[in-house]
Amino acid sequence: MEIEISAAGGFAGIAAAGMHKRIDPDALAPPLARQLREAFAPDALARIAAAPCRTCPDGLSYRITVTETETRSFTLREGQLPPEMLDLIDRL
Amino acid sequence: MCLCLHASHHNPLHCIVPPYMLRVIALRGDPETAAMARMLLAEDEAMRAERAAHASPPPEGAPGLLPDPDICCPDRRIHDGEGRAALPGRLVRPEGAPPTGIADADLAYDASGHVFALFAEEYGRNSLDGRGMPLVATVRHRQNYNNAFWNGEQMAYGTGDGKIFRTFLDLSVIGHEMAHGVIQHSGGLIYENQSGALNEHVADVFGALSEQRVLRQSVHEADWLIGRGILAPGIDGRALRSMKAPGTAYADDLLGRDPQPWHMDGFNTTTDDNGGVHINSGIPNHAFYLFCAYLGGPSWHLPGRIWYRALQELNNPMASFTDWADQTLRTASTLAGQGSHEQQMLRRAWTLVGIRV
Ligand SMILES: [Zn+2]
Repeated sequence: MEIEISAAGGFAGIAAAGMHKRIDPDALAPPLARQLREAFAPDALARIAAAPCRTCPDGLSYRITVTETETRSFTLREGQLPPEMLDLIDRL
Repeated sequence: MCLCLHASHHNPLHCIVPPYMLRVIALRGDPETAAMARMLLAEDEAMRAERAAHASPPPEGAPGLLPDPDICCPDRRIHDGEGRAALPGRLVRPEGAPPTGIADADLAYDASGHVFALFAEEYGRNSLDGRGMPLVATVRHRQNYNNAFWNGEQMAYGTGDGKIFRTFLDLSVIGHEMAHGVIQHSGGLIYENQSGALNEHVADVFGALSEQRVLRQSVHEADWLIGRGILAPGIDGRALRSMKAPGTAYADDLLGRDPQPWHMDGFNTTTDDNGGVHINSGIPNHAFYLFCAYLGGPSWHLPGRIWYRALQELNNPMASFTDWADQTLRTASTLAGQGSHEQQMLRRAWTLVGIRV
């Protein structure tokens, strides 16, 4: 599994202010790897993406691409993601 | 109208399809597409219900225009996010409490008070909703977070990553975020395309005016920058945006160049950034600056009053730039007189940025 996360938008409105991370959970400590595989499972991301999105003024937008046997991409609003997941993204 | 559905990886993003198109697709599309359109519409309904629960129109009667006789003082509630994402975090400075020693929290406390005072003392508005709502803010939101936002209920400020941004606790930024709350509770402006750029524009206007009023600066003394001092030391730029000279706030190898146009000829059509809401706001921003420059004096007086009142009277969350310009001219006629010098200068400002009024 490979997880690619990039952020865009926000108060600055510029992609450069966002982040770009590429993570291979297998290269991380097993507890964190397990957490990541659960949180970023494509089905879990699809559920988050299907929740109604309230557009927060100046909110970020995340592009998350997960590659297993196939590659799937999701665009998620910061306000859609649970705080625990945002904390996880910050730790990576 | 933002509709985010990522129903399948074949349809990665449907964030910009307006509801009227979805209704047509639901009726006429092939079965699979029609089903998706119906699902999107159902979401849209859910979102409208949520928006109705969070937004409020201008108070009934004279909409948000008569000073609230009960205005007294802000009810600030500053929280420490402690580097995590959960909101609002730990309450560190409620109204009336002494300084915390956490610089960000104390800056947010003082700045929120200045922004409250601008709306209360100049425009008669009692807090963001006009009914005295608490001013909830979270500082130190997340880690190395390069952003500040209004989430429909509260403000949140990151610390910046130190490489691009060094802070977000600048009065123009805090005024900007709080103005998003005022806009939401004044009938709202849908956060995409032209109405979204107007939302950004009005937020920048009251962000700039918050700062100018505290510094007692006239139009020609003010720098008209949004976010001066928030860029990290290594970044080649003065601020994030310039209302006086959109497109000139920064030019940096890492950050690129300030993309804001000042004229309709430079209007940017894009699907990024909710349809360029932080980009095209440069056009009305510059018109506001020109109008202020033509009049001279303190910009939070007549120009601020016109913009505030126009927002209360607009009653069109999908307003285009032209709709907004027309509204400001109607409001200027009420406040300064039909055919007055002030109204003529306003017309000239809109014309100069390429908006026909
Ligand atoms: Zn904004």
